Amino acid sequence: MFIYSTQTTEVVNAIKKHVRSNTALISIAEHTDIDVEGLIQELNKEGIAFMGGIFPKVIHGNKIFEKGIVANTLHNIEKLFVIRGISYKNYRIPPIDFKDRDYSLFTYVDGLTSNISHFLNRLYLNYGMETTYFGGGAGSLSLEQKPCVFNNEGLFEDAAVVGVMRMTSRIGVKHGWKKVDGPFIVTKADGNIIKEINWKNPFEVYRSVVEKHSKRKFNEHNFFDLAKGYPFGLVKKEGECIVRDPLMVNESGELICVGEVENNAVVDILNGNKESLINAAKSAAAECIYQSENPRKAIIIDCISRILFLEKHFDEELNAITKLIKDQYPDVSIGGALTIGEISSYGEGFLELYNKTTVVGMFEL
Amino acid sequence: MKIENHILTILQLYEYAMAIGKSLDYNESCNNFIRLILKRKNLNAAWILSNENNKYVCKYSIPFGRKSIVKTQPDLNNLLHGIDSFELFNNNALALSTAPIKLKDGHLAVFNLKEEGYLFLYSKKNNIDAQDLSKLQPVISKFMNALKACRVFSDQQRLLKNLEKQNQELSDYAHMVSHDLKSPLRSIDALTSWITEDYYDHFDVEGKNQLNEIRFSVNKMDAMIKGILDYSTIDKNQSETYDVDLYTLVKETVSCMSVPENISVMIDELPKVRGDKFRLQQLFQNLVDNAIKYNDKEQGLVNISVVDNNQFWKFYVSDNGKGIDSKYFDKIFQTFGKLENRKDSTGIGLAVVKKIVHMYEGSIWVESTLGLGTTFFFTLRK
Repeated sequence: MFIYSTQTTEVVNAIKKHVRSNTALISIAEHTDIDVEGLIQELNKEGIAFMGGIFPKVIHGNKIFEKGIVANTLHNIEKLFVIRGISYKNYRIPPIDFKDRDYSLFTYVDGLTSNISHFLNRLYLNYGMETTYFGGGAGSLSLEQKPCVFNNEGLFEDAAVVGVMRMTSRIGVKHGWKKVDGPFIVTKADGNIIKEINWKNPFEVYRSVVEKHSKRKFNEHNFFDLAKGYPFGLVKKEGECIVRDPLMVNESGELICVGEVENNAVVDILNGNKESLINAAKSAAAECIYQSENPRKAIIIDCISRILFLEKHFDEELNAITKLIKDQYPDVSIGGALTIGEISSYGEGFLELYNKTTVVGMFEL
Repeated sequence: MKIENHILTILQLYEYAMAIGKSLDYNESCNNFIRLILKRKNLNAAWILSNENNKYVCKYSIPFGRKSIVKTQPDLNNLLHGIDSFELFNNNALALSTAPIKLKDGHLAVFNLKEEGYLFLYSKKNNIDAQDLSKLQPVISKFMNALKACRVFSDQQRLLKNLEKQNQELSDYAHMVSHDLKSPLRSIDALTSWITEDYYDHFDVEGKNQLNEIRFSVNKMDAMIKGILDYSTIDKNQSETYDVDLYTLVKETVSCMSVPENISVMIDELPKVRGDKFRLQQLFQNLVDNAIKYNDKEQGLVNISVVDNNQFWKFYVSDNGKGIDSKYFDKIFQTFGKLENRKDSTGIGLAVVKKIVHMYEGSIWVESTLGLGTTFFFTLRK
């Protein structure tokens, strides 16, 4: 359900009517003129269980919105919790008594905090293959870190909200970025900063590849404008690589990415085009539609940098996804968000944080 | 394309290899390497089982499992013992039963880590094949060695901690026993002293002798307790070090000792060393005291001297006494390691000497010829 109103009471009533006694998943576009802390208070007064995040943009149906609220129903919630202090790595993942049935875990994490990969590792260590994983990074497109995830306990920065449901879900993950050059070795890295590639200054290596391929030159002001089309890919054995988005270059020529890069990681430099990205998004949708049996809702987690790259063509990507879903399941509701980092277990493998990727989840009961 | 794939494989093996040996902590070492393998190869789980006392104990697992012990059974033993370096199992219920988590089906690679147990890599889908395992094998061998290093390091740490604990307990015990024993000893001393003062004339000769024997034993026990206390506190109460003129110190020490007339003590020029006056005095006093005590010659000689030995001074205290059989060279430095049951010997003196020398990072040893004499050598850092 999409909520246009910015009146707290109206928003609360709409959510209450939509989710009834279930839990609400609330995705708020960052420019929505609403007092989120006031909303939390009112939802609590009404006894509504909820979790949510504030995102650069939100998705409802086949449209994206810079303002507005998308509410989804999370049925059969087993556990709802918040993990605070993600960057400090000092927290406890609560135990869950998983029974012999399907579970789905949904999480919104502060996409601009550090050590998100550590948090995902901890989730997987504790819950393993008992559940599927799905979620994304919340935050502002200004890249200024501020409180952006919330649940009944409040609005938080450097935190993640998590909901575990007794529910079957099918997840498709694809990005469509293709290798331009590589492989390279990240000979020195620290968290999300690439400090050396092939024992050389990373920007020098990156620049030589990107300028040659794009036939454009980097200058003081256009790093992201050019780099948004040339992410790194952490090479995996099979399937698509894990994309790392270089956001900026510092005065030492080190590249700052969204998401961590391990020391000695083998990477390619990638590039994409409208066709490859849209086809990948369609594949992600097709992958989960193909596996689904009786989905009730679809949630799309798409990277904000895809819209920055595709610009006006992003509508085509979203249309391609929603059309596939609606063609197969006309009654399924579609919602989601444009995120800073996407979360899923790739092909049911280890839990990962992605950049520049489309993750589509089909949720059944 | 083939060459490119080959290069990629080598680089990935390089990445795996570089994740090994970064830590001497077992869990961290496993996290660094195994997590990377799971990520890069899209695998779902991994665990390490080691055989301890006829049980397979889960030493590590991703994700955390509930089962920590897998009972050995002949079929499982045969299965695992049959793995020379690695083996791939598809939907093998017995192999899957080793998992600390519930698994119904899937693909399992098992590597034999020799003394470190078995490493299991699990894929729900078919993401591992024999060719993969063969490429991984050298890296897994490196990982196995890293685990061995972790185990040895952890054993050493445990041993060190135990030693520290035991040392502390012994020291506390010595301290406590000494203090507890001193109290009744003082009572006995006081009571026998009063009895001597008030009733000495009422005793016959035998009674008087027995009374003297009691007082002598009390004094000896007091000396032993003091010795234990000294020994247990030598390296505990770290005193300040400063320049000590050993020649003056040893000369004063000897002049305060009761040296029999038939024994000559010769002191050569001795250097200044850094140390604590009280400890150094104790060191020389105990050695000279022994040299005098165990001298059976009509003209006893004790010589205290030193030679320059690069970074150290090598001191020696020699005598022309009875000598010590070489089989007792170790025993004499042990606490209560007496060679003779003399009334005036506590058996702690040389143990205290050794501890003081070690405290100053020196070493001590003895050379002796039965009937001719003994020389105690020790070094002190310049």
